[in-house]
Amino acid sequence: MTTTVKTTCPYCGVGCGVNLSLPANPNEVVPPVSGDLDHPANFGRLCVKGSSLAQTIKSDDRLLSPQIDGQVATWARAIDTIADKISQVVKDHGPDAFAFYLSGQILTEDYYVANKLAKGFIGTANVDTNSRLCMASAVVGYKRAFGSDTVPCNYDDLERCDLLIMVGSNAAWTHPILFQRMVAAKQQRPSMKIVVIDPRATATCDIADLHLAIRPGSDAAIFSFLLQESARMGLVDDVFVAQHTNQFEATLQQAMESTPDVASTAAFCGVDEHDLMTLSQWWASNDKAVTFYSQGVNQSSSGVDKCNAIINCHLATARLGKEGAGPFSITGQPNAMGGREVGGLANQLAAHMDFATPGALDLVQRFWQAPNMATQNGLKAVDLFQAIEAGKVKVLWIMSTNPMVSLPDTAQVRRALEKCELVIVSDCKAHTDTTAMADVLLPATGWSEKDGTVTNSERRISRQRGLLPAPGDAKHDWWAICEVAKAMGYGSAFDYQGVHEIFAEHAGLSAFENNGTRDFDIGHYRHITQAQYDGFTPTQWPVPEGKPEGTKRMFADGHFFTQDGRAQFVPIKPSLPALKVTQQWPFVLNTGRVRDQWHTMTRTGDAPSLAKHTAQPYVDIHPEDAQRLGIIDGALTRLSSPHGEVRLKAKVTKSTAQGQIFVPIHWTQQFANAAVVSNLIPQTVDPLSGQPESKHGVVQVERIPLLQYALVVSSRPQSFPEALYWCVIPSDQGFRYEVVWPNGVHLARLKEAFSPWQEALCVEGNHWLEYTNPMTGQLRLACLAGGRLDTVVYLSHQPEVVSADWLLSKLASSDALSELDRIALLVGLPANVEDKGNIVCSCYQIGSKQIEKAIASGAETVEALGAVLKCGTNCGSCIPELKHFIPKRMELSA
Amino acid sequence: MHKVVKTPVKERLVIVGGGMAGSKLAYELCRQQSERFHITLIGEEPQLGYNRIMLSSLLAEEISSADMALVNLEEMVLSGATLISGDPVQGISVEKKSLTLLSGMVMSYDKLIIATGSRATMLPIDGAQASNVIGFRQWQDVNLMSAIKGSQPVSVIGGGLLGLEAAVGLAKRGHQVTVFHRSKWLLNRQLDTESARLLQRKLETMGVHFRLGTSPQTLLQNEKGLVSHVKLPDGEQIATKMVVMAAGITPEVALGKKAGLQVNRAILVDAQMKTSCQDIFALGECCEFDDQTFGLVAPIWTQIKVLLAVLAGNQARFLIEPVPTKLKVSGVNLFSVGRIQPNQDDNCIVFNDVGSNHYRKLVVNDGLLVGAILYGNVADGSWYFQLIQNKTNVSDMLDLLVFGEAYCQSKVA
Repeated sequence: MTTTVKTTCPYCGVGCGVNLSLPANPNEVVPPVSGDLDHPANFGRLCVKGSSLAQTIKSDDRLLSPQIDGQVATWARAIDTIADKISQVVKDHGPDAFAFYLSGQILTEDYYVANKLAKGFIGTANVDTNSRLCMASAVVGYKRAFGSDTVPCNYDDLERCDLLIMVGSNAAWTHPILFQRMVAAKQQRPSMKIVVIDPRATATCDIADLHLAIRPGSDAAIFSFLLQESARMGLVDDVFVAQHTNQFEATLQQAMESTPDVASTAAFCGVDEHDLMTLSQWWASNDKAVTFYSQGVNQSSSGVDKCNAIINCHLATARLGKEGAGPFSITGQPNAMGGREVGGLANQLAAHMDFATPGALDLVQRFWQAPNMATQNGLKAVDLFQAIEAGKVKVLWIMSTNPMVSLPDTAQVRRALEKCELVIVSDCKAHTDTTAMADVLLPATGWSEKDGTVTNSERRISRQRGLLPAPGDAKHDWWAICEVAKAMGYGSAFDYQGVHEIFAEHAGLSAFENNGTRDFDIGHYRHITQAQYDGFTPTQWPVPEGKPEGTKRMFADGHFFTQDGRAQFVPIKPSLPALKVTQQWPFVLNTGRVRDQWHTMTRTGDAPSLAKHTAQPYVDIHPEDAQRLGIIDGALTRLSSPHGEVRLKAKVTKSTAQGQIFVPIHWTQQFANAAVVSNLIPQTVDPLSGQPESKHGVVQVERIPLLQYALVVSSRPQSFPEALYWCVIPSDQGFRYEVVWPNGVHLARLKEAFSPWQEALCVEGNHWLEYTNPMTGQLRLACLAGGRLDTVVYLSHQPEVVSADWLLSKLASSDALSELDRIALLVGLPANVEDKGNIVCSCYQIGSKQIEKAIASGAETVEALGAVLKCGTNCGSCIPELKHFIPKRMELSA
Repeated sequence: MHKVVKTPVKERLVIVGGGMAGSKLAYELCRQQSERFHITLIGEEPQLGYNRIMLSSLLAEEISSADMALVNLEEMVLSGATLISGDPVQGISVEKKSLTLLSGMVMSYDKLIIATGSRATMLPIDGAQASNVIGFRQWQDVNLMSAIKGSQPVSVIGGGLLGLEAAVGLAKRGHQVTVFHRSKWLLNRQLDTESARLLQRKLETMGVHFRLGTSPQTLLQNEKGLVSHVKLPDGEQIATKMVVMAAGITPEVALGKKAGLQVNRAILVDAQMKTSCQDIFALGECCEFDDQTFGLVAPIWTQIKVLLAVLAGNQARFLIEPVPTKLKVSGVNLFSVGRIQPNQDDNCIVFNDVGSNHYRKLVVNDGLLVGAILYGNVADGSWYFQLIQNKTNVSDMLDLLVFGEAYCQSKVA
């Protein structure tokens, strides 16, 4: 009998339903997960990351017991240590000497108790979160316009709109299931127009009818222009504007000043006038329009203004609150929304109430029976870490996030954490860049072990359900917080019998004296029982008492949650990123994600199949820039900024414009020695949201001469102290590394460095195999220990692409090596084995060379490729890439 | 209407030399041209038509004498051929077109083929004439070596192919064998130092000892006239029960010279294998064509084909084709072709798998493969040989070249 639960995917903000099953036999591995056919986010589909979840359920590197100063400790001692220290610093320095730094990956119930402890009992609003880095600007944008942090739309609107404008979103890779829904909708209704606004040509452009490759950061001007075009073309809904909004005239006036005509706007944004006018015409002719925006808008020094520039257009045309229309912010994390609902941000109080909300402080104090209410905003992420470095905040509790990688200016973050008197880190993983900085480590339960709720980007609350037992001493985060609260003497307020009681209290607060004044009301659940909680089905808030079905769409009635109930237009002056390129720092750095990794790889890094699509970090650079700098594809390149340096391999591509480079955010020091892109990013933030401008830096790019590139495959973990670059690529069968050394590595030294033997080769079955080729600069070694493959080192003066799969399989194999196998050890694969090339379809592990072959033998459409190879037929996220393989054919004119 | 059937008088074709070349030619003639020729094969050894290459296997007791046959002698006799063994030819009279055998028999010929082969070169050092100093050429040599009883010290002079084969055979018989080799490494014409080192190590594990870079100065004889010690230039003396001289071969041309044929290092032949004398041909190790003599079977088999055609009255020409050296030393396959000692502007690609006795070195010059050594696994030898012969540009496959044809072809495909 297998036990299966319906739970929610822990990756992006789409919040797909997942079926998770226990293995029939507890000694077996967890079987692959499947999509929940009943979940309204995904209706059974999963992207490649979600599909690979079972692979991430493993015991490698789990944090299994609390540690204090590197020593294993009991929970009791760890909790006392934390409680005592918090009490002491609060007594000596005031409550603001403590801070939580939370994560959009913890559950709503975890968030709730953390927020309650800090803001009501310790007395500080220093509760910030990594959500600050991803959607703080969207929150402020919504709040400025609507008076509340309310996403008006739902996922159906993406399918029902006639015009979909995607801004700063590579949904094809970051929100694959939503993207698949868009693809399907466009296939069904080819008349539906899709516009992508993005400096880069991404996979998302694949379905675009129009791609505006704007100058980085110039998004707001596009919407400023659209607003004044709306007026020019008579699209403004005068009645709606008059009855339900304020400040239209001033906002329009500003738009006409900022973007007076198509020529100046096109010049500002660096786009073609004709393309801009096409957008304008489509905006005019399609009432059902959704603007779908994400990190490219939010991670900006003017992110909030960009959001409001977008919302202004929707308000002017009354394109919100109805089917197929609205400004739709998409979150990057599974529960950034839940954190927002709880109030788990330093500039929120609780349950969609701010400190400035009249009466809110008193209301919350009474509800919580709180002895020490915080009274004003706390420190937002970047400010918080600066305050820590300044010695103002002395105890920091980091939960489920990796600021050593994700916050800008890694050097500053390191200085802050080194300075902090007590750094507490709760995590599933024993080794992250941030756990390395901890004084106290608390082992947390993970996705498959934990009960609670999450909210996705369309306000849909879903259950996450634990199925597996907690490993070692791992505990739920909410439990750890409540235990500290109890140890500090707040037992009665944190004495929950189960996680459903926390949820019920959270629901109760949302409804407490609400009476329709606040958007967030889930009062229906305030007496939820354990059984009801267990049977919870995904529902979109608000779910006030008496409306158990929830709410599909917001603002249909034109009522907003401002003081006067009217939405606010916000006059916007488009501005470019704070930092400009100079002669010294001539390149604009953009950052983002790759298809098969997520955040800092603490979870996706456990799934070897997810490393196939993009095995190593890289920097995208335009061919002409590359040529000018003498950089070839795959060459190690140094990027430096005033803040630091990274070293990455170049990917020479026209997908990024000249003068711009792109670097993915995922690789940490656990996976590569010099790839954390935050090292280059300044701590520039949006003045309103505090969200860092993480998608913009100015850097210098240099070729690094005289290098030796290596592939190392070993049955043992290796270290590379002298390497300029190393990257470990996850594998179930052994250890795979890509390494770059400065010139001068020779055979004898490699043998010495990688030899598994103390003595010389006197033992039968211990040998080195060697291959040297001075013409190609290749030098390859394979080490056999006891007749089995131990280590392979391939060295070359030029970057070369060698498939490591076969070598890895030989590490794991106990079969004797045949003579042909032994030759193959120095080639990388046997002569009769198909070289798949780079994996394109992760679901079915189909590679570029297989695809090229299939196309050559007649499979000339994506469908045909799917029929032959199955590629693209599961999650579909590789379809944009598959299309690039298909030769362009001459269109026959009729 | 009766037709008178007249039995034609067959031409008398005599082959002098019952070694591999002579026997093989005789056998093919019996099969193809016995209508036209009466074939006589004369050998000095007691055995005719055996595979000389397999003497080393016989010595090593890997096979029995029954496995030694190169051709089917019985089939030849049934086809009417005359086979004479153990009766060496003493002289040829070109004028009379006849020859005299040791037994006194005189025999006339219409066509004469000389296939007297070669003999082991005996180094001109003191003691080399002793009766326990032998070559390693003939069946009889194997018998002599096999006759040594017990575990005895034996010396082999020469670390070429024959010397190593003899050494291994003797070692397998339990003797303590020392190989003396003038060069610094074994098989120095076919191998480089690395592959020779692999081979040496392999042979050492079989119990063979090596003295490289040195050559015996004197073979010291005992009172019975037998060599008892090998004396090295530095004065060291090494006891020995027998000395096998394997320092190369010398074409056996005495008969031809005496008969007045033109002889240089060996009997000169033209492209039809004709000697300077009418109706006399020569082939095999005793002939010289275009300044070259021949020690490997491949060109000799070609010579047989040419001669068969010429005798049948057809057009044929013998051409010297470069031949890769394919050797098998004690179970280890070796392949060597072209320039194996790189020049200054050559590059060497090296693959070395010590554990499985597998070594490859390719010498590349300006996009062309010019030489190759394969040790252990020689499967790709003929492909490399073709690449050299056809002057194929290998620039595009330098990264896979050393791994062999299968890899390079799959790359092309």
